[in-house]
Amino acid sequence: MLIIMHPGASQEQVENVIAAIERQNLSSHIIQGVEQTVIGAVGDSHSVGREVFEILPGVAGVTRISQPYKLASRQFHPNNSVFPLDGFSVGGEEIAIIAGPCAVESRSQLLETAMAIREAGANALRGGVFKPRTSPYVFQGLGEEGLEYLAEARELTGMPVVAEVMSIAQVELMIKYVDVLQIGARNMQNFSLLRAIGETHIPILLKRGMSATIEELLMASEYILSGGNSRVMLCERGIRTFETATRNTTDINAIPVLKSLTHLPVILDPSHSTGLSEYVASVARAGVAAGADGLIIEVHNDPANSLSDGRQSLTPEKFAILVKQVKAVAEAVERRLAPLVH
Amino acid sequence: MMIIMKPGSTQVEVEHVIEHIRENGLTPHLSIGEDHTVIGAVGDTHAVSTAVFEVLDGVESVIRISQPYKLASRQFHPKNSVFPLDGFTIGGKEIAIIAGPCSVESREQLLETAQAVRAAGAHALRGGVFKPRTSPYAFQGLGEEGLELVVEARELTGMPVVVEITSITQLELMVKYVDVIQIGARNMQNFALLSAIGKTQTPVLLKRGMSATIEELLMASEYILSGGNQRVMLCERGIRTFETATRNTTDINAIPVLKLLTHLPVILDPSHSTGHADYVTAIARAAIAAGADGLIVEVHPDPAHALSDGRQSLKPEKFAELVKQVGQIAEVVGRKLVPIAKAQEL
Repeated sequence: MLIIMHPGASQEQVENVIAAIERQNLSSHIIQGVEQTVIGAVGDSHSVGREVFEILPGVAGVTRISQPYKLASRQFHPNNSVFPLDGFSVGGEEIAIIAGPCAVESRSQLLETAMAIREAGANALRGGVFKPRTSPYVFQGLGEEGLEYLAEARELTGMPVVAEVMSIAQVELMIKYVDVLQIGARNMQNFSLLRAIGETHIPILLKRGMSATIEELLMASEYILSGGNSRVMLCERGIRTFETATRNTTDINAIPVLKSLTHLPVILDPSHSTGLSEYVASVARAGVAAGADGLIIEVHNDPANSLSDGRQSLTPEKFAILVKQVKAVAEAVERRLAPLVH
Repeated sequence: MMIIMKPGSTQVEVEHVIEHIRENGLTPHLSIGEDHTVIGAVGDTHAVSTAVFEVLDGVESVIRISQPYKLASRQFHPKNSVFPLDGFTIGGKEIAIIAGPCSVESREQLLETAQAVRAAGAHALRGGVFKPRTSPYAFQGLGEEGLELVVEARELTGMPVVVEITSITQLELMVKYVDVIQIGARNMQNFALLSAIGKTQTPVLLKRGMSATIEELLMASEYILSGGNQRVMLCERGIRTFETATRNTTDINAIPVLKLLTHLPVILDPSHSTGHADYVTAIARAAIAAGADGLIVEVHPDPAHALSDGRQSLKPEKFAELVKQVGQIAEVVGRKLVPIAKAQEL
């Protein structure tokens, strides 16, 4: 960490900062400039907040040099994290495709969609049963009844299932039914929920908050990893910008940036990151071309009559075309799609 | 256009709006709901501003239904615009790669880079001579001397050259020397400059402003097209967001959105849209996978000593690797790179 003193900071203020550095078990290095003094705080500073120094008199600014996350860092774990996901692995050479409806709406809707996406080439099934909807007046999900349908769909298709958890109270129930717990964008910084799932051993799909920086996403993953759960996948799902032509802006830069900063698998959700079904396949191809380890795609057997996210859901036929195109791109970047379950 | 009246707006206010609709050569359609009265203004509204109705008494809001641009629209011109660029075409099946230094710094630097990018597979050469630098104290470009060097590089390599214009006063000089005039992000809404370029016949590479929406980019292109210059390429170069890990955020969505809304060729600049050489190749691949018609990439023989944008410039060897990878992606999306021999036989 670098502590930059105000021009004209007193000797006493400098000494005060040095004392604070030493209290954090770091050592200090003074660089005396022409106008300003800079003090380096050297040592393992990932658990030291910048505020400790920012509040001291005479301090103009504090710049963090090393990353504030550790377990998520590629420095700490140079090789990619590769872990099995009920029939295939994620984070290695294979690219996994998770697909399914935004929400589980009924038994027939879920089973029909599950069969169709498996046929089209999906590796895992998604389906929300607890839905974080912007309006409290719209469909909120089927709850435990939906979990039973998900379990039935898994039995029927052999695909592992991914469902979103919204509160600590749901964790125990969900672990019984699902293979991967999703933390949605709105809960990326629900720290007590992150801690609670960090104590489980179920794989996690952690979505980036819509106004979260890449570093904040990595810090959120650190909450889960530091609890002992090392199977975390990160998911870019678009960020909030001034652009209105799409629901969100796909931060495609986040893919190579995350692949360079962390060993965790990186997934792209082109359904939410565009919000419009006509752009999903193009952005899915871009995600894999940029180095993503997988995709999560919304597919509905009847988008026009879907209870949520119909505008961004693909029909099974369109999804089958997407899988074919993504497969070709995967091969062009020397990857391959994960084998299908039988 | 739909004009939504406030709840409780009076009959007189509604009639006043209807009168204004007629004055603008449009036909009114009245629909009276339980809370709100909505008045449709039907006809060719692209030249009518929403502000005309927004200021009237009793009006709550105005929603534009049809696009405010026309010549740039795919509705107006359903097929892709394909035009020749000194030896090859842009906007068709072929993907073009423009490469070169951020700035022309010296004869030696430019000629060395030009030959290196040509050998690596570039189809056109970029190089700035009038540089819009954030700081007035930083290197501002070589000016006309740089243009002469750019011409020498074209003669040496056979590649057409792309150079940014930063003021109308440079226009006459630029038209004489360069094959493509670039409008930089900071000048995307320099309307006087856009109108002036619209009156020339030199192809234009129009970059998206860093805080401009896709619609604003298309409106900027409309300024050039409506002047009579049809050869406009649009360029996504990253937008300003809250993310700090990269210089800008590549709006990859803009590629398929633009390809759907307009017939104009769409180019991506992964050098500016990431700002880091480490990420340029991955984003270049992504752009072609998403449907871009070309790339513009910053290459410098010695990035560490570049006078501008060194952090985002690729070395010629890295650029050659990018071209190879982009070629593989192009093939799987049913496209191909402009054949090098074709770009060279000039």
